[in-house]
Amino acid sequence: MSFARFIIKRSLQGIFVVWGVVTVVFLLRFSTPGDPITFIAPLDASPELRQRIAEELGLNQPLYVQYFDYLTGLLTGDMGYSYISGTEAATRIFARVPATVELAVAATVVAIVISIPLGVISATRRHEPADYAATTFSLAGISTPNFWLGIMLVLVFAVQLNFLPTSRRPVGIVQAVEVLVLSGNYAGIVLWLQHITLPAITLGTYFTALVTRLTRSGMLDELGKSYVDAARAKGLPETLVRYKHALRNTLIPVITVLGLQLGTLIGGAVITEAVFAWPGLGTLVINSINTRDWPLIQGCLIVIGSSFVFVNIAVDALYAYVNPQVVYD
Amino acid sequence: MVSPRTWRNLRRELRGSALAKIGIVLVLAIILVAVFAPFLAPYDPYQQDLGNSQVPPLGFSTTENETRSEMVNGSIEVVEEEVTVNATLAHPLGTDALGRDMLSRTIYGARTSLLVGVFGTMLAVLIGVTVGLTAGYYGGRVDDGLMRMSDIMLAFPSLVLAIALIGLFGGVTIRIPDPFVVLGLAPEMPPNIVLPGTVVLVVALVNWVWFARVARGEALSLRNEEYVKAARALGASDGSIVARHILPNSITPILVLATIQVAAIILLESSLSYLGFSGANLSWGLDIAQGRDYLASAWWIASIPGVAIVFAVIGVNLVGDWLRDALDPGIEGEGGV
Amino acid sequence: MDEILRVRDLKTRFFTEEGQVNAVESVSFDVRDGEIFGIVGESGSGKSVTALSVIDLIESPGRVTGGEVWYRNADLADEFREKRSEAVDGDFVDLRRLPKGVRRSLRGPSFSMVFQDPMSSLNPSITVGEQIAEAVEVQRRARANPRSTRSRTQGYGLGKYLVDSIVPGREYTSTESKERAIELLEQVGIPDPEARAEEYPHQFSGGMLQRAMIAQALAGEPDILVADEPTTALDVTIQAQILNLLRDLQREQDMSIIMITHDLGVIARMCDRVGVMYAGQIVERGTLGDIFENPVHPYTEGLLGSIPDLEDPSPRLSPIEGNVPSLLDSEMGGRCYFADRCPNAMEACLNSIPEYDTDSGEVVGDGANAEAVHTARCVLATREFDAAEALGDDYFGDRAEASDPETPDDAAEQEVVSDA
Ligand code: SF4
Repeated sequence: MSFARFIIKRSLQGIFVVWGVVTVVFLLRFSTPGDPITFIAPLDASPELRQRIAEELGLNQPLYVQYFDYLTGLLTGDMGYSYISGTEAATRIFARVPATVELAVAATVVAIVISIPLGVISATRRHEPADYAATTFSLAGISTPNFWLGIMLVLVFAVQLNFLPTSRRPVGIVQAVEVLVLSGNYAGIVLWLQHITLPAITLGTYFTALVTRLTRSGMLDELGKSYVDAARAKGLPETLVRYKHALRNTLIPVITVLGLQLGTLIGGAVITEAVFAWPGLGTLVINSINTRDWPLIQGCLIVIGSSFVFVNIAVDALYAYVNPQVVYD
Repeated sequence: MVSPRTWRNLRRELRGSALAKIGIVLVLAIILVAVFAPFLAPYDPYQQDLGNSQVPPLGFSTTENETRSEMVNGSIEVVEEEVTVNATLAHPLGTDALGRDMLSRTIYGARTSLLVGVFGTMLAVLIGVTVGLTAGYYGGRVDDGLMRMSDIMLAFPSLVLAIALIGLFGGVTIRIPDPFVVLGLAPEMPPNIVLPGTVVLVVALVNWVWFARVARGEALSLRNEEYVKAARALGASDGSIVARHILPNSITPILVLATIQVAAIILLESSLSYLGFSGANLSWGLDIAQGRDYLASAWWIASIPGVAIVFAVIGVNLVGDWLRDALDPGIEGEGGV
Repeated sequence: MDEILRVRDLKTRFFTEEGQVNAVESVSFDVRDGEIFGIVGESGSGKSVTALSVIDLIESPGRVTGGEVWYRNADLADEFREKRSEAVDGDFVDLRRLPKGVRRSLRGPSFSMVFQDPMSSLNPSITVGEQIAEAVEVQRRARANPRSTRSRTQGYGLGKYLVDSIVPGREYTSTESKERAIELLEQVGIPDPEARAEEYPHQFSGGMLQRAMIAQALAGEPDILVADEPTTALDVTIQAQILNLLRDLQREQDMSIIMITHDLGVIARMCDRVGVMYAGQIVERGTLGDIFENPVHPYTEGLLGSIPDLEDPSPRLSPIEGNVPSLLDSEMGGRCYFADRCPNAMEACLNSIPEYDTDSGEVVGDGANAEAVHTARCVLATREFDAAEALGDDYFGDRAEASDPETPDDAAEQEVVSDA
């Protein structure tokens, strides 16, 4: 099977999974205790008022009609209206997406930039201080709850040193760059950097630690293989032996594991947002669950679930691309 | 089930690895602390003492601004005054905002973490192994169906799914009488162990998929072995074939995975408690959340339980590494393309 | 014929958790121009480590701790005659006393190596052509600037690699190198080399891959090719083809080959002279005739006795009772290491045994008798076996017991080679 067909097949599977996600999320609402109207209507609402609200929201229709309506709505980008604020759910949700993406990407970039060289250094200087430091860091990193790490960072850098802000996101990177390009004013970028540093470290530490660990053990495996000896025997300089030969094969399984860990990244983003009052999908999902704002809950879960599915397909594609031995099944 | 060879590998790996030893010591310590909490904790962890709130841990006396109303020349004035709060041996790790003893809360917190970690993992193993063995053993349609289901489960990040489930179904707690207190050995201590039941259920629901994948892989590779075919030809029932031939062979990878999952579940539980979704009223995560508001005046409230989590998780992870290195089940990167 | 390589008293140690392992213990041998020198021994005897030590590929926890490796190279000798007079002797330089960078620069144009398992000796995620082209490219760059080892790495750090991997069309290897790689593939008898150069190792058969591996080793036109069990991983029918190829190439290019094998059949077919290794030492060396027709050391005799038929395409060493010793420093006494398995062990064997010239019976070493052709580390080179001095059968009885019964896996790694 060719690469293109592989991608198409995975995408079709992905769409199927997303449909499953939508269905599960939809059913979730009907299996949870409590009538949503209790949360929407004022406490002293008359039965008539309740009735009217139910009709307006289509809550009195049979289940399959509601399901069908919801599905068709989704296809046109309509996720219904927030029970609480009455605004369009889709608008609210997508307004939050950039903040979360920004955070996740910043954390991933930090993680990759630090962890891969660290893993390589650790593997090539085995049993030297650098290796012990890297191993200790990665063990601590995968064992530290990130919300606590975030709080400790706040304690040190914000409360004690008064060096970085504790929370919020006054400006997005897109606006900041826009301002920089249009007016040459870099204050926005500085502000953005100040605010994203602690959240990005908080979210990125686990991944930095994890990838360092994986890179180290993978590199140790690869460096012991005879193609490495062969590469040295033919006179290749050590940088090439390490970064072109060994690292390439190390990263192939690392990519798979990273794909599997995407869920952890998104989950980590949720709690990091909660710690730093970061206005992303995570804080939105927590708030909507607390207020039983169903259209928002459903919308958030669907957006999170489907982005997870499709990023995973991208990871698979990357894996297939870098690994010539992949068998498209 | 556990062959002498396995034992030998475990012992050899342990001999060569200081980290494995540290891990075992940490895990044993946490287990002992959790089990004997009523004897180790100096106070009832729930007992408030507002007169003694925010006492710093030993070695860290702090100053605090205190406001007081005072009669000055016949009128009442509010006076602000700096007072030193001294650390005291009575509360070696200090007290929280309600004057509860941090040491006792940290010791009791081990119970919650460990109970959720162990019961949650056991439940996840039960569900996951059942589904995985069924899928792998029967293959075909059953396999496809169950695996698609697990794909859908995996599409929800476990924390998000857990929050959604607990937030929507509510946190149910189960009260288990503390045997030491019932026997009258530690009469001062709280009579019940509070197990956050929904949390146990939910962490199992979001984690069973990993076990299902491993068990399925093992079943798939074993079901065509000659001895399995032979057993089938002799008329053994599916149940007995799975129980006698396939399950025992899957134990090693599942054991290693389970250890790693205990660590993951302890972290998940603390996150849920931090966000206030667990329903438990005594948990490291919950104390961190409460300490978040007092970072400026009482840093230790949020810091100390976190240190406890880190030690517990490091211990479990080290034991997991040890088992993985010794038993080499090859599950890293399991479930890829 | 002149020597191209003189190895003297080479010692390589591995510093493991169990203790110091003396993998190579005072090994001396010569390799002459255009000859094939064989090193034969059971696995665990230190033959591969010897080869890796010569071309400086020993990795931590191992280290070459002593000895000299004299390599004939007039240019190098001139260059270092002043700077490091102790490292130069006539046209010879002692590689161990040269700077690390210089030693590395010799890999490719002076030494290169063919490994046992071609499947794992080529990088699975890089095309075969690219890997050979790399080897060509390294030598091309080195020739462009012969006296600088920096030239090869210059501008080739991690940063450049990252840029190269992201920007399409920028590659380490040049078009010329790629064309040369295709020529090399053709030279080693790979049909349709242009297409095959674009393929990945897993698309090759074992035999074809070993040919590619040889092509890669030839890229720098080396003086000495080390072939470490080049046919062990291959089908019997392919083995002969690969051996013929090596033989032909050796004649064509007039290079020397160090052939490492556990297979006396390969030795008999390929080699001019042979060293027999046991427990990290060369216990006997000489011409093919010396070793096969006139062996002195009982170990050599044991090996030869186990060949059923030289016509058999794949004769194996037969098990001689007992195992190769662990080579742990703490367990190696001052005695003949073979004594516990030797049928002729006598009291005289309980001292450490030097190399003797089998003709004169004199000790070889420290310059004395260095020219000896046929040597053996055995008292039998100097005297006859005397039954009166023989050690009892159970003299080493309890020693065998004591060799760590807890770790059968380690013992398995040093399997007696009957079925390797
Ligand atoms: S020295 Fe003695 S023990 Fe060693 S091989 Fe010769 S005869 Fe045998």
